[in-house]
Amino acid sequence: MSLPLLIVDDSSFARKQVIRALPKEWEVEVSQAGNGEEAIALIEQGKGEVVLLDLTMPVMDGFAVLEEIRAKDLPAIVIVISGDIQPEAEARVMKLGAVAFIKKPLEPAVLSQVLRDFGIYSG
Amino acid sequence: MAFTQAKGRILTDEVLDEELRDCFQELSNVAVGRAADLLARLLNNFVIMPIPVVNLLERSELSMALSSVQDAQSVSAVCQGFTGSKIAGEALLIFNDASFTDMAELTHFKGEITEQIELELLMDIANILIGACLKGLAEQIDVSFSQGQPYLLGQHINIDELLNKNGASWKRLLTIELPYRLEGRAVNCDLLLLFTEDSLNVLRDKVSYLLE
Repeated sequence: MSLPLLIVDDSSFARKQVIRALPKEWEVEVSQAGNGEEAIALIEQGKGEVVLLDLTMPVMDGFAVLEEIRAKDLPAIVIVISGDIQPEAEARVMKLGAVAFIKKPLEPAVLSQVLRDFGIYSG
Repeated sequence: MAFTQAKGRILTDEVLDEELRDCFQELSNVAVGRAADLLARLLNNFVIMPIPVVNLLERSELSMALSSVQDAQSVSAVCQGFTGSKIAGEALLIFNDASFTDMAELTHFKGEITEQIELELLMDIANILIGACLKGLAEQIDVSFSQGQPYLLGQHINIDELLNKNGASWKRLLTIELPYRLEGRAVNCDLLLLFTEDSLNVLRDKVSYLLE
């Protein structure tokens, strides 16, 4: 069975870049969300066992998504992919339960390595 | 597009389709992230990342692009031109004058905040934000910009006066508005990147490979 992967970013251009950067051999079922609220709804439907999460978004940002996942104890492994490269932003998301922080612009090799590091992808 | 809706009108843009607008917004997002990082380090204060607002506007509509400072009674601003790879534009950094008390505190300035001190703060922040933003943007689309000298547009003036002072007379502009906030601080500043209409065509070509 394919792994439910959720890509969250307010930019469809950015979501496309993430999809392109996914390992080719990786069997995933990709869902997309344009803001945090949509993301939480999809995670609750089981569409986001692994979540690739942007931080700067309207309606509900990435920090709030992480808080919500924690508050509702949702089963999601979250990797943040963000243009907000302040060390404090990284520290905050790690404290909120993200497993990794990747800087934009996204490099496919970096994403693959992070996925391997956490045993999410074994190719 | 939030501010256009808030204003109760929809802007007609014939040239800027949604895909391109979204692409510029994301490229800007990455660029402002670098600028925010530098600013946060300088001031030792977390910067709330702006969501870039990209639009194609008539010159007369420019004041609408200044959502975060448009209610300010009094603003101060610097302007810096840039050009390169057939792209030309201006960067405007606009501070709500109410921001200077906190700005001075963050830079550990003690003493009376004179106009001269405000000017120095304004220039320091402009150098960091404008430089980092333009560099971040340029790198992603594989161009390089050279920047002119920053100059003061005005101190303690209102937005309309400010926009009249801005010399550029291009009719239509590609505008990228970046409203920066400092967490826990009453600092409101808007970085506005203005590109000539001709630049839009060059920019479109530059990003076309990203949109394939």
